[in-house]
Amino acid sequence: MDINFSEQDLQFQEEIRSGLANDFPAHVREKQLKRESLTKVDMIDFHKFLFEKNWAGYNWPVEFGGTGWSPVQIYLFLNELAAAQCPTILPFGLSMVGPVIYTFGNQEQKDRFLPDILQFNTWWCQGYSEPGSGSDLASLKTKAVLEDDHYIVNGAKTWTTLAQNADWIFCLVRTETTQKKQEGISFLLIDMSTPGIEVKPIITIDGDHEVNTVFFTDVKVPADQLIGEEGKGWTYAKFLLAHERFGIAAVPVSKVQIARLKEKTASYNDLDLNKKIAELEIDLMALEFTELRTLAAIAAGGNPGAESSILKIRGTEIQQRLSELFVEAAGQYILPYEGPEGFESNNNPAGPDYASDAVAHYLNFRKTSIYGGSNEIQKNIIAKAILGV
Amino acid sequence: MNLNYSDEQNMLREQVLKFCETNYAFSDREKILESDDGFSHENWKQFAELGWLAVPFSEDNGGFNFGPIELTVMFEEFGKSLVVEPYLSSVVMSVTILENSNYSGKQALLETIIGGEQHVSVAYAEANIGYNFLDCVTALEGQSDDLTLNGSKTIVLNAANAQKFIVLAKHADSLALVLVDKDAVGLAVQNFKTLDGQTCGELTFENVSLAADAIIATGDEAKALFNQMVEVATLCISAEAVGAMTASYQKTVQYTKEREQFAQPISNFQVLQHRMVDMFIETEITKSLLIKATLQLDSKDLEATKTISALKVQVGKAGKFIGQQAVQLHGGMGVSNEMSIGHYLKRFTVIDSMFGNTQHHINKYATL
Repeated sequence: MDINFSEQDLQFQEEIRSGLANDFPAHVREKQLKRESLTKVDMIDFHKFLFEKNWAGYNWPVEFGGTGWSPVQIYLFLNELAAAQCPTILPFGLSMVGPVIYTFGNQEQKDRFLPDILQFNTWWCQGYSEPGSGSDLASLKTKAVLEDDHYIVNGAKTWTTLAQNADWIFCLVRTETTQKKQEGISFLLIDMSTPGIEVKPIITIDGDHEVNTVFFTDVKVPADQLIGEEGKGWTYAKFLLAHERFGIAAVPVSKVQIARLKEKTASYNDLDLNKKIAELEIDLMALEFTELRTLAAIAAGGNPGAESSILKIRGTEIQQRLSELFVEAAGQYILPYEGPEGFESNNNPAGPDYASDAVAHYLNFRKTSIYGGSNEIQKNIIAKAILGV
Repeated sequence: MNLNYSDEQNMLREQVLKFCETNYAFSDREKILESDDGFSHENWKQFAELGWLAVPFSEDNGGFNFGPIELTVMFEEFGKSLVVEPYLSSVVMSVTILENSNYSGKQALLETIIGGEQHVSVAYAEANIGYNFLDCVTALEGQSDDLTLNGSKTIVLNAANAQKFIVLAKHADSLALVLVDKDAVGLAVQNFKTLDGQTCGELTFENVSLAADAIIATGDEAKALFNQMVEVATLCISAEAVGAMTASYQKTVQYTKEREQFAQPISNFQVLQHRMVDMFIETEITKSLLIKATLQLDSKDLEATKTISALKVQVGKAGKFIGQQAVQLHGGMGVSNEMSIGHYLKRFTVIDSMFGNTQHHINKYATL
């Protein structure tokens, strides 16, 4: 066993670090440091910067324009991004639909969609959950009926992150009503400008507009936008979830946030708070090494499978506890609430500068244990796959 | 970065596992605990024959040049079967101090340990200093060949079977580690059973006179040797805890599959499934810190010390959670002394209490 990264890996890390120091768009960095929200243009600029550095396909094979990096390199890359205060890379194109297209799509689809995903010419969103289908995803009802060379899509998708910005949506749709509900599901790519699509905002408890419901009324989708075979969508969906394991623990982001919390509260000399921070730091240290064990297992040709559910559960628990500690540290000064539009007055209220952001973040991060397969679903997976009960 | 065990390490694990399967059924263990010395001399002889007593020794001293990884592999397997032979006190603790010291008599002494001929225990705890072992009151006074030891030590593991003790004592303005024979005039030993069925003792030194060659180390050297011993020992009992955690959740899964209530195996109930998943996750998380601490140990820097504290915190919390839940999910059987499961809880409780408990190490981590 050897805990140290290889010479090549350290050199790689240095290249990423200096690339970020030199070329990360200044206007995005400035907003990130001030923790201001990013506009659509900011996000596009950031992703275009990744493409220009040849980093966009960080988890793609070389043959599709990716980097072909090893799991350890991907880990180091994401670490450096977080340390440099980069926004989180949007997963919908690069980590979700992209890998599905290059694995199950035909040549025409690969040529048509992959370059735009890498270059961030298209903004993708995810059409999985429905108003009636959450954890029981396979119960989905959005219907696609083939008529000549088109599917006619009717139904609704919900919790669709940033659909208001999206050019395309990938959807799980029901093409057949079968005995077994997992069968009869297909994977369809839909242009968001197609007539019959309506995006309705959902305002979350932090006051932000991040998620939406997307309604489909007689939406005509060309049949050549079906990925793979009709009725095999569930297989592709499961593949997609497995592919999402990189970064799922959000360790680098939590590390940066713990450092920030310590810096903001250093002058308090609050032993009780310091002990809670220490416990959180210990849990994060343990999670980080668990992720490294997972990476080492992948690098050695293994498939960790259900163990990555540990990363999801513990990672989101730590993110939530961290967001709680910011609120606890801020005390009564969380009351004046900034919201997405900023304070009405130009003068900031009394109290620490992190207070308003802290409570918004706390409310927003309740989502982490719900999305991506709720933590309860993750426990069902471990119970079945690992414990055999 | 490589986090795979070598073939040699896997073979060692296999060997310990096999030994435990053959010799350490729960009923075997109960018989061992009922014996006078609280461990099996027959097993100890086998340990010596298998070369296990030489595992942590350097080649110069007749050992295998193995390091912390091999020790944790052995202790993880010991933990699964709740092995009670005094490997921690008689081998790990004493050897870690002696090997790294400049003590002139170490070669001869180490040979007797490797051969399984004698047990040497380290005496470090006292009545009124809690976990601040270096603040000891027991004092070594005088000079050269006219040394006198006064004071008392408590919770000396396996004291009843030790032929010699390595005693941490105040000396001049600093500290000393001294070797004291069990038959020394003025030394009284009182023995106790521990809550998990092992043995420990209380030593009282009343004007015990020692010659210069009793001194193993003094001053900063003594301090460094002692602190290193505590870190290695902490690592070993943490590995033992990981083994005990693995056994606890696996035994619990097995039990809930067999136990039927309301006309079905209770493992069907989701609330129990999720509890067992939590036990599994805590085990894996603890294992991660164990591997990290093991691989950092030799660097001897601040990060390594922080990781040891982090590990001990996690071992304390996870051991308590897993131990309690294992008992809970076994229902009434869980609190019965005839079942093995409650004995894991006892061992977790002992392990948490040794070398600084959870609270102690949270505080230590926060101030490092």
